[in-house]
Amino acid sequence: MNAPPFAFDGVVRLTKVGTSYVLFTVVIGFAALNTGNNALYIGLTFLLGCLLLSGIASKGGLKHLRVEFSAIGQPWVGRPAHGMLRLHNDSRIWNVRDVVICGGELDPVLVPIVARRSTIEVPVTLHFDHRGIVTVNRLDFYTRYPFGFFLKKRRIRIHGEVIVYPRLLEGERDRRRMEATAEGEIATNRIGAGGEVHSFREYVRGDSLRHVAWKKSASLGRWIIKQTEAEASKSVHVVLDPYKPRGVNDEAFEEIVSAAATYIYYSMQRGLEVVLSLPRVSLHSKAEDATPLFRALALIEPAHEPFAIPYERNAVVFSVGRHDDARTA
Amino acid sequence: MTPARREIETLLLTSFAAVPLYATNAVGLLPLVAFHAVMAGIIARVAMGKSPELIPAPVMRTIAVLYIGFYIVDAAFISRNAIAASTHLVLFIATYQPIESARTRNYAQRLLTTALIFVASIATSTHITVLLFVIVFAFLMFRQLMYVSHIETVAALGHEYAEPPSSRAATFYLAGTACIAAVLFPVVPRVRNPMMQGIGGSLTNASTGLSDTIDFNHERSSTPDPSVVARVWISADAAPFFTPIRLRGAIYDRFSRNQWLQSAGRFHELRSRDGVFRIARPVGLQRVITVQQHLLTNTRVYLPTGAYAVSGLPTLFEGPQNEALTTMPLRRSTDMVTLDVSVARDIEPLRSVEPHVVNYPRNDEVTAMARQIVGTSSDPLEQAEKIEQYLSTKFRYVADPAAIGHPMTVDRFLLHDHVGHCEYFAAGMVALLSSLDVPARIAGGFYGGRFNPLTGYFVIRREDAHAWVEVWNGTRWTTFDPTPATLRPGMDQTGLLRAYVSALGESVTYYWDRYVLTYGLGDQVAMAANAITAVRDAMRSVKLRMSDQLTQLKSPGTIVFILLIVAGGALAVAIAGRRHPVFDLLASHLRRFGINVGPAMTMEEALAELRANHPYDARELEPLIAMYEAERFSAHADPRRRKTIRKRLAELRA
Repeated sequence: MNAPPFAFDGVVRLTKVGTSYVLFTVVIGFAALNTGNNALYIGLTFLLGCLLLSGIASKGGLKHLRVEFSAIGQPWVGRPAHGMLRLHNDSRIWNVRDVVICGGELDPVLVPIVARRSTIEVPVTLHFDHRGIVTVNRLDFYTRYPFGFFLKKRRIRIHGEVIVYPRLLEGERDRRRMEATAEGEIATNRIGAGGEVHSFREYVRGDSLRHVAWKKSASLGRWIIKQTEAEASKSVHVVLDPYKPRGVNDEAFEEIVSAAATYIYYSMQRGLEVVLSLPRVSLHSKAEDATPLFRALALIEPAHEPFAIPYERNAVVFSVGRHDDARTA
Repeated sequence: MTPARREIETLLLTSFAAVPLYATNAVGLLPLVAFHAVMAGIIARVAMGKSPELIPAPVMRTIAVLYIGFYIVDAAFISRNAIAASTHLVLFIATYQPIESARTRNYAQRLLTTALIFVASIATSTHITVLLFVIVFAFLMFRQLMYVSHIETVAALGHEYAEPPSSRAATFYLAGTACIAAVLFPVVPRVRNPMMQGIGGSLTNASTGLSDTIDFNHERSSTPDPSVVARVWISADAAPFFTPIRLRGAIYDRFSRNQWLQSAGRFHELRSRDGVFRIARPVGLQRVITVQQHLLTNTRVYLPTGAYAVSGLPTLFEGPQNEALTTMPLRRSTDMVTLDVSVARDIEPLRSVEPHVVNYPRNDEVTAMARQIVGTSSDPLEQAEKIEQYLSTKFRYVADPAAIGHPMTVDRFLLHDHVGHCEYFAAGMVALLSSLDVPARIAGGFYGGRFNPLTGYFVIRREDAHAWVEVWNGTRWTTFDPTPATLRPGMDQTGLLRAYVSALGESVTYYWDRYVLTYGLGDQVAMAANAITAVRDAMRSVKLRMSDQLTQLKSPGTIVFILLIVAGGALAVAIAGRRHPVFDLLASHLRRFGINVGPAMTMEEALAELRANHPYDARELEPLIAMYEAERFSAHADPRRRKTIRKRLAELRA
């Protein structure tokens, strides 16, 4: 947990300034009682009024705060994720100043002011330690405002779930390993714009005559259309085998998930289309968006039984429990 | 606000805290001037962008160590007062701390020292203007406290100095604090330590128009002083008989070396009966008037002429001069007493007295003059009336004794100059009567007063000090006043507007004196008694009303109506409890399309699956799932969203 140095359990704590103030008030109160001097009583009542108002103001200000995450950027394990917190101050009276928000994966952030009956958005930074669904269910609000006598805390319950993507391997060695796999780019085995013939089919209305296979049409006596294969160099096939045999620790499994995510990440950066095969499902990246793939990697759990995942010869397989003829990263 | 500006503001606040000390006797002028001079030097240095080290810090530290010994010397020999020595010490610390702040972050300590100085300032102040100082000080202090709070917060996060809260916030909190203080002030218990003496107010050092002797060896002088001596409440039916007011406090019945003196008398405590001190025997019309009085020099009590009984004092003594009344020193912060005084048109002594003729030296010319004035009259009162008439019409009155321009004997006043102020008129009349062997004496006190129409009392000020004459008629002393009536104190005419402004100011001062300075345990007891009475009355009234309404509620129709409401509420709660959560309803709906939403599946994923197999149904369900997610992940539940989802799902099922 990212906590500021003054974080504490409980609701309120007397600060050093507050302690001095309380002692001073006690001394003045004692002097007033001893002397019956009403000028001292005026001072005493001002001191007590100030103390009381300080407590009311800090509590009243925090009490009326509402908070929610308005946006969170791509959350990767180990990388700061930037987000926006939306703060509403519903109080009709109290402006809230100098509030420090922290808790969970949030870096402590100072909010200078939330004026009464207003909403502001505060940029925040989050740090996640593990992939998967992370629940952000509480935030701690601290303030010394207005006079610094008390450090008040309010824990606000929120309901936020974030799917955290796996850690990207950042080391130079890991990066080279991921780039080396570029040679593994394979044909898509799908119909598309390309030079290689993929298959033939019957002519249907609307087909361009440029794609007619003249020789085949002549020999068969009907219109046959030639279909070409999509460009091979635009696509990579990644397979992640979740099987984790006994004796393999969780770190090793997480390592291959990170490796797969890193591989996909850099492939996407190079403009490649990525196909990710997992047990019972294959996911395709679309228009430079690999979010479904990363979400899948974020949520994948280790399996204790081997799966049969069909994959092609040039597929890049990430596995901790299988060593066959497939290439591994 | 830059740090330099903030530093200057802190230094100004510390300097400001000591300003009220100039108006009190807490410390001498020299330490205060020295303090402000050093602070001004530090402020100037900071304003020029230099370090606050007006005196090098090592030197200042040495001085600080030496000051420990000096403090004892100060308390024992210089100030001879621990409070004054302590105030000096705090002033020294206040100059030391800014110099030390260049090396140590000591904002909070400096504010504490500033607060101590200010407490020393207000503790010895009794004037209403102290309230203004409190408000200004509180405003500046709030700004500083908010600043300290701010920098403590940002420093904990490793941030740099940022903008502190504004004056607007300080004003807001000042208003709030003042309101709370106003509520707390009357209820904070005034249970005081009986062993401690109160701290004296500032009035004791003020000059008075009255002196212990009337010394004609020197030129007399009188400075107008508007300080309030007393406030006198006289009922409308008594006013014609007891105004103008004469508060008598001194009797000058002895003459020596051109001075009029008060004879020393026995000092004995008067006994009270049920809190009432009887000091004379009444003759003629009697009334009770109320006098609120500041005890001026020492503890002498000034009572209206004609006073024969007084209550409202814990003790009353006669002495140390003849017929002078004094009380014990008050043990509270103010020097104010409120007395109920019974007065009569005339009073006689409780015991028989033998008045003697004043030992004024006989002078043939004065005697001749006296005989010429009284003619053939032999009755002392008749003779006194003629002399009073003569002096008030033939002699010229000057309000300011300094206008005479030189010291003057009474003989010279009577025989040569014929010009003087009230003391000469009174002394001249006593001299004339003495030459006729009529017992007479000079009475000193205050005369007249101005009626305050806003509060209904007469205000007597120090500048209303006056001298008149008392003549023995054989059984009692009778008052005469040879000073021309229209020229006596308080008889000068002021404009209406000025009079009302003065009355307004006086009223404010009165309320300050009455409800702030002299507010005490007795007032709290009275307030509590009033509150209890009010609560009892209110409860009795509510009880009566409730008993009436309960009688009406006992009708069968009302009982059935209440039961129906209770049953309806219970039914609504039961229905609400049986309702399924929105998630379950959505999952149930998706199950119809062959999608089982398990605990590991999100609604978003279920929707994607539905979109793949049943795109049309997915389009219908899409907004509901979006609404569900908004509801699920929002910090605040919105029942309207849930209601809409339920309603729409019901429609889809239909």
